[in-house]
Amino acid sequence: MTKDVVFKQEFPVKGSDFSRAGEVSCEIKNLLKELGLNAQVVRRAAIATYEAEMNIIMYAWQGTLILSVTPGRVRIVVEDSGPGIEDVALAMTEGYSTATEEMRELGFGAGMGLANIKKNADDFEITSEVGRGTRLDLTILTNGQRP
Amino acid sequence: MTSESRHSLQINAEKCIGCVHCMIACPTKAIRIKDGKARIIDELCIDCGECIRFCPQDAVDSRTTSFVDLNAFQYKVAIPATVLYGQFDNATLPNEILFAMRRAGFDYVYELSTICELNNAAIEMYLNTHPKPRPLIASTCPVVVRLIQRRFPSLCEHIVPIEPPREIAAKILRANLTRMSKVSPSNIGIIHITPCPAKMVSINHPATMEKSYLDGAISIRDIYKTIYQALRQSKEDTIMAHLFPETIFSGIGVGTALSGGETRGLKNHRTVAVSGVRDTIRVLNQVELGLLRDVDLLECMVCPDGCIGGPLTVENRFLAKSRILRLVSMMGERTVIDSSDMSLLYHKDFLSFRHSIEPVELPPLDADPVQAIQKANRRNEIFNLLPRKDCGACGAPDCRTLADDIVRGQGALADCPFAREEEK
Repeated sequence: MTKDVVFKQEFPVKGSDFSRAGEVSCEIKNLLKELGLNAQVVRRAAIATYEAEMNIIMYAWQGTLILSVTPGRVRIVVEDSGPGIEDVALAMTEGYSTATEEMRELGFGAGMGLANIKKNADDFEITSEVGRGTRLDLTILTNGQRP
Repeated sequence: MTSESRHSLQINAEKCIGCVHCMIACPTKAIRIKDGKARIIDELCIDCGECIRFCPQDAVDSRTTSFVDLNAFQYKVAIPATVLYGQFDNATLPNEILFAMRRAGFDYVYELSTICELNNAAIEMYLNTHPKPRPLIASTCPVVVRLIQRRFPSLCEHIVPIEPPREIAAKILRANLTRMSKVSPSNIGIIHITPCPAKMVSINHPATMEKSYLDGAISIRDIYKTIYQALRQSKEDTIMAHLFPETIFSGIGVGTALSGGETRGLKNHRTVAVSGVRDTIRVLNQVELGLLRDVDLLECMVCPDGCIGGPLTVENRFLAKSRILRLVSMMGERTVIDSSDMSLLYHKDFLSFRHSIEPVELPPLDADPVQAIQKANRRNEIFNLLPRKDCGACGAPDCRTLADDIVRGQGALADCPFAREEEK
């Protein structure tokens, strides 16, 4: 019974809203701290969330981060409506980026995004449909042990 | 909890009228109004002193050392923060201020700007020899250290483990004064003249060593009149101070009273200087999200414009800042520290922390993960019943914090005058 206990909260993110970049990730990070999770677990979740939040802001029209926490794991589902990714495998390679010159000048788009999310997650899935949007599903185990 | 607080800040119950100014201003939400008086929650307070600035009743006291306390010592030594040099008019030079302090009763006054420069050089050496992690964070502001320990525990390892100038100076004095003064070590009292209450806490409860080398800290506010009178008392002193330039000042060191002062000396590194407690929190949040990795040194000062904006200073900070800048340009960029001396001290670990900075765990919603999740859910439910006016009438700084207090058993929905009646 207690195994089913879950904390769930949705966080909307607006595309192109650079002025609020990082706010959702910060809120999620603080929530995870208040839930008493291990500092390294919180940090990995925060870095992954930030990259996902930035991807929505930089490329999509709008999106949602759905956080769900159970005693054993943190799961973050990121859904956006946006242009989608044509070649997911290519987008996953470190250093690959389609960031515009403008974004790079702002210090964004170093091209580590998706690879960095995967690196910090224990389980990571990505599906994308061109012209519709992208969905990420990542899990981090709360015991801090990599599977 | 013991009744003896570890903090320097204290609410004066006689003056406090229970208004909400300090509570709203507190950046760590460490104040509640209970029974018509402000109360500070010990675990959350970082001694930044914002409450001192915002209290319209002057009801926040800072427990610093008083001049009278020094009578316990036969030999009295002062190490004034370089901020002090900007507190008097433009015609008053640092040497005159140091002279006046001797006249006011200190047996020895140690000039700190040289040590500020030494500290700077040691930070540079640390940066050169430690490529990771980035950004490193300077530790001179004790509030920043406390903030990181509590709110950003994963950044503890980013703090540069070099002691701040005031501690290095006191350590040097401890090593030499007994011989110089012929007074036994226990009869020598060394105090810092401070622009902020946090130095007192870092002296009483140091984060990086067993015991501070300092015996206390007198606020600039408290000692101002004494120095001012001593300055006015004798014109001869002024002449003597001019003809007796026994002290070497460092322009680089004096500049550290201002935000950006520590990074100014670091020509070969990428640096960022932040000041103000809210901006400091914002930037540390970004660091914790994995940003600013291309920055070598992050200097954070929680007071606006740096230590010059400390809550226990006297002069308005814009005037003070202009005076410090004037002194810096007068003294120039000339290095006064011998780099081989610094290197020797650095490698003998004379300048480094005794032990590393450890995170201070704030209590989670519940120690049991299942209970914690349930409380987080309950907190969201409660929050939805609240008006989100953040008015402070309940005694908590905002609706979100009241919801948090309620699930932690430290508040009730009935505290809110606006919560929906049927829910109470």
